[in-house]
Amino acid sequence: MGIKTFAAIDVGSYEVSMKIFELSKKNGVHEIDYIRHRIDLGTETYNTGHISYERMDELCELLNGYTQIMETYRVDDYKAYGTSAIRETVNTKVVTDQIKLRTGLNVSVLSNSEQRFLDYKSIALKSKYFSNIIDCGTAIIDIGGGSTQVSLFADSKLVCTVNLPLGILKLRSKLNVLQPGHLEYEEILSELIDNEIHNFRKIYLSQINIRNIIVVDDYLSQIALNVAKAKDTVYVTGTEFLELVETLRKMPQEEAAKKFGIQRENAALLMPSAVLVRNFIRVTAAEKLWIPGVSLADGIAYDYAERNKIIVSNHDFTRDIISCANNISARYKGSQSVGEELVAGALAIFDAMKKLHGLNKRERLLLELAARLHDVGCYVSLSAPAESSYSIIMGTEISGISHLERLIIATVVYNAYPKEVNYDDFNETEFNEKVFLTVTKLTAILRVASGMARSPRKKYRSVKAQLREKELVLTVESDSSLTLEKGFFLEQSLLFEEVFGIRPVLREKKGVRF
Amino acid sequence: MASEKNKEKNIDFRDSRYYMNRELSWMKFNERVLWEARDKNQLLFERIKMLSITASNLDEFFMVRVASLKDMVNADYKKVDIAGMTATEQLSALSRVTHEFVESQYSTYNRSLIPLLKQNGITIVTHHEELSENQRKFCDRFFEEEVYPVLTPMAVDSSRPFPLVRNKSLNIAALVSAKKTEDGNKPDTDFAMVQVPNVLSRLVEIPGDDGNKNFILLEEIIERNMDKLFLNYDIVCSHPFRVMRNADLTIDEDEAEDLLKEIERQLKRRQWGEVIRLEVEDTMDLRLLEIIRSEVGVGEDDIYHINGPLDLTFLMKMTGIEGFDRLRAPKWVPQKPKYMNEEDDIFSQIRDHDILLSHPYESFEPVTDFIRSAARDKDVLAIKMTLYRVSGNSPIIAALAQAAENGKQVSVLVELKARFDEEHNITWAKTLEKAGCHVIYGLVGLKTHSKIALVVRREEEGIRRYVHLATGNYNDSTAKQYTDMGLLTCSVPVGEDATAVFNMLSGYSEPISWNKLILAPLWLKDRFIYLIDREAENARNGREAHIIAKMNSVSDPDIIEALYRASAAGVRIELIVRGICCLKVGIPGVSENISVRSIVGYFLEHSRIFYFLNEGREEFYMGSADWMPRNLDRRVEICFPVEKPELMEDLRHFLQTELDDNIKASELQPDGSYIRPSKHGRAKINSQKQFAVEAEENAKLRKELVPDRVFVPETKYDDEKSSDI
Repeated sequence: MGIKTFAAIDVGSYEVSMKIFELSKKNGVHEIDYIRHRIDLGTETYNTGHISYERMDELCELLNGYTQIMETYRVDDYKAYGTSAIRETVNTKVVTDQIKLRTGLNVSVLSNSEQRFLDYKSIALKSKYFSNIIDCGTAIIDIGGGSTQVSLFADSKLVCTVNLPLGILKLRSKLNVLQPGHLEYEEILSELIDNEIHNFRKIYLSQINIRNIIVVDDYLSQIALNVAKAKDTVYVTGTEFLELVETLRKMPQEEAAKKFGIQRENAALLMPSAVLVRNFIRVTAAEKLWIPGVSLADGIAYDYAERNKIIVSNHDFTRDIISCANNISARYKGSQSVGEELVAGALAIFDAMKKLHGLNKRERLLLELAARLHDVGCYVSLSAPAESSYSIIMGTEISGISHLERLIIATVVYNAYPKEVNYDDFNETEFNEKVFLTVTKLTAILRVASGMARSPRKKYRSVKAQLREKELVLTVESDSSLTLEKGFFLEQSLLFEEVFGIRPVLREKKGVRF
Repeated sequence: MASEKNKEKNIDFRDSRYYMNRELSWMKFNERVLWEARDKNQLLFERIKMLSITASNLDEFFMVRVASLKDMVNADYKKVDIAGMTATEQLSALSRVTHEFVESQYSTYNRSLIPLLKQNGITIVTHHEELSENQRKFCDRFFEEEVYPVLTPMAVDSSRPFPLVRNKSLNIAALVSAKKTEDGNKPDTDFAMVQVPNVLSRLVEIPGDDGNKNFILLEEIIERNMDKLFLNYDIVCSHPFRVMRNADLTIDEDEAEDLLKEIERQLKRRQWGEVIRLEVEDTMDLRLLEIIRSEVGVGEDDIYHINGPLDLTFLMKMTGIEGFDRLRAPKWVPQKPKYMNEEDDIFSQIRDHDILLSHPYESFEPVTDFIRSAARDKDVLAIKMTLYRVSGNSPIIAALAQAAENGKQVSVLVELKARFDEEHNITWAKTLEKAGCHVIYGLVGLKTHSKIALVVRREEEGIRRYVHLATGNYNDSTAKQYTDMGLLTCSVPVGEDATAVFNMLSGYSEPISWNKLILAPLWLKDRFIYLIDREAENARNGREAHIIAKMNSVSDPDIIEALYRASAAGVRIELIVRGICCLKVGIPGVSENISVRSIVGYFLEHSRIFYFLNEGREEFYMGSADWMPRNLDRRVEICFPVEKPELMEDLRHFLQTELDDNIKASELQPDGSYIRPSKHGRAKINSQKQFAVEAEENAKLRKELVPDRVFVPETKYDDEKSSDI
């Protein structure tokens, strides 16, 4: 048949939803059912760190209902992801185990950056206009219950992605504590939001002229979309949106719910989203607001389809991740040229050693990111760059990279700095044996690569790596002398020898001198 | 133009003078049904059937509507209705109208129908005193052998309280006095009664001397033999009586943990509601009447002195007497649908084109077949449907149960709150559950009145959804009497909506937006008002504007207001409303452009079709909802557009024919009365008859186009058969 039926379940912080898709090479990702149910997991988690017994019951009952629907469609596969409401519980593993025991569903927990990356993927893949939109400066505002993610694009490239503590559930909780009056409500909300946007603006918005905003959320976009539909377009202008918010602001929630055809409970979440987007429009002076109408479930499906080679995307998401890493590196004044050389070297070694290390494409990407981010710590401390790099990497979101992966990158970077090998340094509590070995292997490779590229003044024309029996021959074509590198090289190759049983050898190939 | 607008503005369309009380309007409807019983052009049994219908209609009306007005009075509810009447005012107006109506029912029965029956070979002996000797013997013997064993006579004295009289049951009350004691003292009279058993047929055939078939009513036989029931008493007098009780179910769903149990409990209670009507034989002894009256507690207004047999619903049985075919309309055989053939399976036919079904002119079989095929089809994954009123022995229930047994996911929403059918529905719900279907018992606070069935099928190109949407219930037996429309389609937007409907009915969130379907109670009323206002706007801008709407009742004040607004703006509005219509026509400046007609015919008009001119981009909708608050505000209803040009053409023809009907239609007058339209210079059009003829023609045409391609093996040579072409 060539059609795969796939279910994507999103255990969100205020809604649990499931979409059923048909995935096929011919028709791509085709949604056939969308089931949603409101369940406020977030408020409890954010306040107590736990999901109460009753709430858990409700959730499991709901998920059991979903599995029945999955049976109806005889789905071939599914992915179920929990986001911040599950992630921020203190006993996440217990929670997911409970769900597994009571519903049979494997719910994985997405890190924020993974989650946002999936949202981003669905925008990029579902929206016909996406590639045109990001030609100009663009911000994706992905509004969630626990936080809001802002990703900035310039020249069709992802510049950065930042997580702001502006989740609508959290905002609502904060406001409820203050119990403001109806008119005051919007003012206080606006102030809360502006406090956060202020810093963001200082750091990120200075070099980019944002002209488009893409909004991802559950309720606001629905209303905005209606406005757009009414005039037969797929966007609303900044002014139109400001007017819309103004109308909303003056309306009691009941009336808003009725007028815009949304459920009463959801109307309460509308105002935080609306003010958030409005204030962003104010600081960016964005001209157009795009509403792709996507949800995490779409992202899950596109990601699944892509990984299973059901769809081929014409957008290179790896490039986005790398571009994001480059921007982080640039922010901390990392050396671009050393970086490039390090990447070239590391990847050459990685590829040559394919048969021996048994690592995959994804791990190759992690190596590349580690190489690109290797010297971000120098910005903080020149004497302790390893520690500082580790901290910066752990403190910075890299689009599309899970928490574990980020930890791998940081650990690899930390250990790649010349120092005595201490295996304890390779281990983190969250690593299992497999991950530990991956980290070790990647570190070994990065160490060798960094041994080859010490000086920012030197320029390699090419780096070749060849595996010859017990040796890995690295041939570097360069204009300058490699005496310094050769000196360091031995020390940096020890780990490599130990891990792979292969000795790296550095060879110089002199090019034409000018 | 500007002055026009001003005129519109100055009028308060909500003025109660512009509205008709719904109960009185309903009585008008029942009168129109009675017209059919009085119509000399009708066949006799059809007239009798109509009279029987007026009686059962009135019973239901009392149990539900009058009962709730009584409740309002008891609760001291002071709010006035749409026409500005308090409950007390309504009751007193109704009492007057109803008494007149009942008189008219019995004069029809006594003066027209009984003599006509006699002429046509059926004699009804109205009083046992009129029996011949021969007949008397027969009756007494019948009493002893058949009746006596099932009777429970009850006497009342100081030690025995007044018995509970069951709702709607027919009883005989008697004044009895103990046989003279030896001391010769004349004892007091006591009250005694016996229920006329409903396990026996009320109509008893007796031997006749006049060459006619002779009948007598069971209560007459019992009355004649009362003395045999109270052996120690003398019967002073005996007369039949009947009570009607408050039966409207009010279920507190918040407290009703399990809806099923709650309804079962309420059903038992229905027997004992407050008495709201007492019917007695008009010759009843006044002492006897007084005893009954004070015991059941009714006022003078609620007593109906009847000149004839109580409870005329027995007449329906009579129309089923064997023979006498010349007295009844030939049984209508629903025809093969215009848009279907017999060669291809139903799914491929739906894939090929949308199918419009017009019942009962066209057979209901395709709908049953749709579910039945789905139950058997190996590619079908799921069947979901709503059931409101199903027939006894419903093939749809059987098919659903079979589907579940075949491993399909079957979800059925059974509406337990369907009035007077609760008992029925509970049984089916249990059957389905046993078979493994997922049964949902309605939504808390809302009646699910929508008629929708969804079949999810896995095909070569992926999931495909087949949907049946209808204006009437999934009831194969009422589908032979009710005119309803249905649409079978596999349109993707409709399929998506249908899925969303069932998600919603299963308790999941409503979809972000709907493609085609419009649902009550959330969206439908607004949409109708929008559509009406749009026509009004067009009229104001000098464009032609036209609305045709056919349904069962119009009583929603918001809709009526919108219609008045539209009429005032110049929209031509033609309504075809079978029953209640709270809208008044011909009010200057308010409803001059509105006409209302009602069709009461052989079939019960039941479909709901809505037409809006929309500046020439015409829109047709059909659905399950009337323009009543209960449909628009308190029920789950679905309306759907019909967008295929050839089907729109069919609907246009359908509506036009009903508007042209001058035989079975009657038109609402400004004074609230209904009169037959003038036939002067016009061809006589009986729309139902015409649709029947058209359906036959279509079926014949199809037969000519596609001869039955069935090879019949000849097993024996039959002389007759060869000439039977």
